[in-house]
Amino acid sequence: MAELLQFVITGVTVGMVYSLIALGFVLVWKSSGVANLALGQLVLLFSWFTFAMLVQVGSPIWLGFSLVILFALALGWIIERFILRPLIAQPILSLITVTLGLAYFIQGAVSFIWPKSVAALPDLFPEEPVQIGTAVVSQEYLWAAVISILLFILLSLYFRYNKTGVVMRATADDQMAVQACGIPVTRIFSLSWMLACVLAAIGGILISSIGGITFGLVETGLKAFSVVILGGLDSFLGAIIAGPIIGLAESLGGGYLTPLTWPGIREIIPFIIIIIVMFVKPYGLFGEERIERI
Amino acid sequence: MNVDLPAGTRNYSYAKDMAIFRTKTHWAWLLVALVFLFTGPLYWGEHWLSVANLIGITLIAVTGLNILTGYCGQLSIGHAGFIAVGAYTAAVLTNRLELPFLVGLISAGIIAGLIGMLFGIPSLRVKGFYLAISTIAAQFIIIFAINHWTSVTGGFMGISVPPASIGGITFISQGSQFYLIMAITAIVIFLAKNLARTRVGRAFVAIRDNDLAAEVMGVNLFRYKLLAFFIGCFLAGIAGSLFAHWIGFMNAENFTFMDSILYIGMMIIGGLGSTVGPILGVIFIRMLQQGMTFISPVLENTFSSLPAGFTTGIGPMVFGLIIVLFLILEPRGLAHRWSLFKASYRLWPFSY
Amino acid sequence: MNLKSPLKIAMALCLTLALVVIPLLGSGCASVPEETTLKVGFSICYTGPAAEKGRPMGDAKLDCMKYINEELGGVNGYPIEVIWRDNEYDAAKAATIVNELISKLCLLFTTNSSKMMQASAEIANRNEFPGFAVFSTPALTNPPRHIYAQMPDYGDDWAAFANYYLENIWQGTGTPKMAMHLLNNTTGYGARDAAMVLADEMGIEIVAIEEHTTTTISEIESLTRIRALNPDVLYISSTPQPTSIIVKNAVELGMYPGITIGCGHASFTKVLVDLAGADAEGVYGVFPTVSWGDDVPAMAKMTEYCQQYHPDDYGNMDYITCWAEALIVAEILRLAIENVGVDNLTPQAVEEYGFKKLDNFDVGGLHGPVSYTPGDNRLSKSVRVFEVQDGEITPISGWVEAPLIPYEFD
Repeated sequence: MAELLQFVITGVTVGMVYSLIALGFVLVWKSSGVANLALGQLVLLFSWFTFAMLVQVGSPIWLGFSLVILFALALGWIIERFILRPLIAQPILSLITVTLGLAYFIQGAVSFIWPKSVAALPDLFPEEPVQIGTAVVSQEYLWAAVISILLFILLSLYFRYNKTGVVMRATADDQMAVQACGIPVTRIFSLSWMLACVLAAIGGILISSIGGITFGLVETGLKAFSVVILGGLDSFLGAIIAGPIIGLAESLGGGYLTPLTWPGIREIIPFIIIIIVMFVKPYGLFGEERIERI
Repeated sequence: MNVDLPAGTRNYSYAKDMAIFRTKTHWAWLLVALVFLFTGPLYWGEHWLSVANLIGITLIAVTGLNILTGYCGQLSIGHAGFIAVGAYTAAVLTNRLELPFLVGLISAGIIAGLIGMLFGIPSLRVKGFYLAISTIAAQFIIIFAINHWTSVTGGFMGISVPPASIGGITFISQGSQFYLIMAITAIVIFLAKNLARTRVGRAFVAIRDNDLAAEVMGVNLFRYKLLAFFIGCFLAGIAGSLFAHWIGFMNAENFTFMDSILYIGMMIIGGLGSTVGPILGVIFIRMLQQGMTFISPVLENTFSSLPAGFTTGIGPMVFGLIIVLFLILEPRGLAHRWSLFKASYRLWPFSY
Repeated sequence: MNLKSPLKIAMALCLTLALVVIPLLGSGCASVPEETTLKVGFSICYTGPAAEKGRPMGDAKLDCMKYINEELGGVNGYPIEVIWRDNEYDAAKAATIVNELISKLCLLFTTNSSKMMQASAEIANRNEFPGFAVFSTPALTNPPRHIYAQMPDYGDDWAAFANYYLENIWQGTGTPKMAMHLLNNTTGYGARDAAMVLADEMGIEIVAIEEHTTTTISEIESLTRIRALNPDVLYISSTPQPTSIIVKNAVELGMYPGITIGCGHASFTKVLVDLAGADAEGVYGVFPTVSWGDDVPAMAKMTEYCQQYHPDDYGNMDYITCWAEALIVAEILRLAIENVGVDNLTPQAVEEYGFKKLDNFDVGGLHGPVSYTPGDNRLSKSVRVFEVQDGEITPISGWVEAPLIPYEFD
């Protein structure tokens, strides 16, 4: 029974880390309908940039973080302006493939600029793990969870009450109507990409402080897909809630099923969940159901 | 104005109207291409023959994907998983059960098709990117099952595959495999082109354009969507079987998610929804990849002191850059450019 | 198309340039040698997921070849012509590359990854083209054909560590309990296969086998299960990053220090210490080569070339492995020339009179002696046991030979 508490806590905290990445994905999808397949590589790039700022250049933490955020904003603007703007009216598959090309490019650029393939960020959080009952959880996970929730609250408030946030939601709903109101849609796309890159940067910093900076960050991005599907592709609330659910399922399912079946079944659980969700509630727990009319 | 045929060609019978190779020039080019292909093994080295074999195998798989995604509109980013199913079926049947190669080939296709149908069932409820995620899940579950079903598939250690053999002929050298693979590829492309022109093909296109309208017109969505998955994955299975015999050793690590994405990329760059699209896309991407393997050695040899990350990074960077530039300049793919070129050629010197 | 005209033209020009230059570069690869050269082929994972190991290994091979050609004048006076390609850790590319090396009449080839060798092995075996892999897996050398392994594989690591543990660390009575944490590919399962064959007769009880992926960020859940079974030793067969996660999680759960932790050679490099920090103190591991700075004959030259051409690689154990590999290639060619003469060199001759005549060749002390014994395609069979002491990987044993393990593969 003591294990149950440990599994639950680990699952929830690890799941919140997935939620972070999922938030970035949902943001881009919600405002422009593009599936950002380069998200994993963007996370990798920003982690390396943080490493460069903090370790190679040696700047203090507050300066390093601000530089990373600025870089993320700039990169988001560049990507949208030069890569996605020319493809505005094209079929969705071309957009997805262009993000794929972008992913390869970023991967190459990362190897180009930082030839060391593995690095560790300096310790950002205290080392001692926190005891909750009989379970232990390291501080990094707790901080990641807290920051995820904070970001979620900020984003939700922004989209609800801030004028630009409302405009972004409107763009996701009907681009032509927004254009008819006199708001340049391209500016909204820029903004959403910039924000998504900032989210990716924050997610990258948190995840790489847990496990170091490696190419594995890209695969963690894949886990975020299952979070996004479970929660609904266009719902922030869904991303935040589905993250811990997937983390819990991994943890509990892995914990109790592994002795019965194969080791490593933990990896498959998110994908099995996806298939089940597809059958039961295809648009996710909180996603908007698409109603088609002829 | 129809610019598919040269000016002055009139069709006076149904057979002529439906012919793929209609004019004498078409037949001449076909003959030249066939001669070129079939005398290839005489003067191409092992290296280029193996590249040609790889192109043929990929072409079969991408043609299947084109039928599924290009013609029927069901986005599938898990194709590498279905190819893996085909490859392992062929490997297990020819290695463990020692069945002949052709039995392995056809069973690989059928089993991959059936599994494809199974994972295609969500297509009845969801569309677009949601369906794509379901196929991504299919990819991972299939690879997991292959890795852990050790008694049958050899698990992580992999399974070796005997060379293909029909009757008494064993296909060991790249040249002999070339004939085998090209023959099968030609049959597959011919089937795909004709599929597009039949009732089934028209149903697929109707589903892609507007599936509710298609249903209203009487196209049975359930049946045709599953059929699309079956055909697409059947071809993936056949490609998998040929792949297994070509490499000789099967390991689930050969079929990654990045490969699935790459197949989609090949299809998009070639041009969705046309038969010649996959051909152009596959040749383009595979040759580009071969170019990438050259770049590092050449750069290292010419510049003796490059910064450390230069050669590691330059390959993927150039690859990604080319894909991005290509899509920005021609989002509808090489097939579109090709048809524009043909049209301008026919109308020259008049521009249109 | 809503891009301004000059930008569009610039992009089109860029694309055409890239597409035209690449084939030209590729064709510029073929150089016509004026004298007899000895052609060897290297298939290296310079880019792709395994680039962190592939690049320093590639650098080492090429640097050593430069050293052999420039300072030693080649092998018996004949320069070695290296044809190398980047296989990007992709099986299909590896297959086309090995075909290219065969068609370019290379005498032998090497790869540095077991997965790449698996993709190339069947084609090489069918063409009787000999080759060896730096990192190998039991399936490649059992049954022995034309593929050799330069160093002991992951199963051998386990056997060597288990031996050392039983003799020097285990102090209880009865049989010790071992839990294994494996990477979900041949690196991990190679160790498991060896354990399945040898554990009973060695006197070790395997109580748990857990699996993880290369990209895991937390193994608390699997370690909780392991902790409940009270093992005495945990063996991790993986790469540095997941190993560091497991070690850190074990410390958080209070399991370590307490049990003994041993690692396979794929993860026991400086990267592990960098990532795990102080948590890795006291972790054991096996590695088949010496460490940087040890006093062995080849260390001086290797350090010199490394500092001069690839200073970023200094301190990377994989560099040592491949410097030794290039020395072995030169030795094989030398033996073949001595036995059959340079005009009769074919891949089969190189295998028969080069590979199979290797007898206690000393790779400048960088790793155990290299010999061929019939029936055993591993060229070097010894490892050393190390421990992380004060943040440094320090050797604590001499060369331990790993016995031939009777696997059964079809």
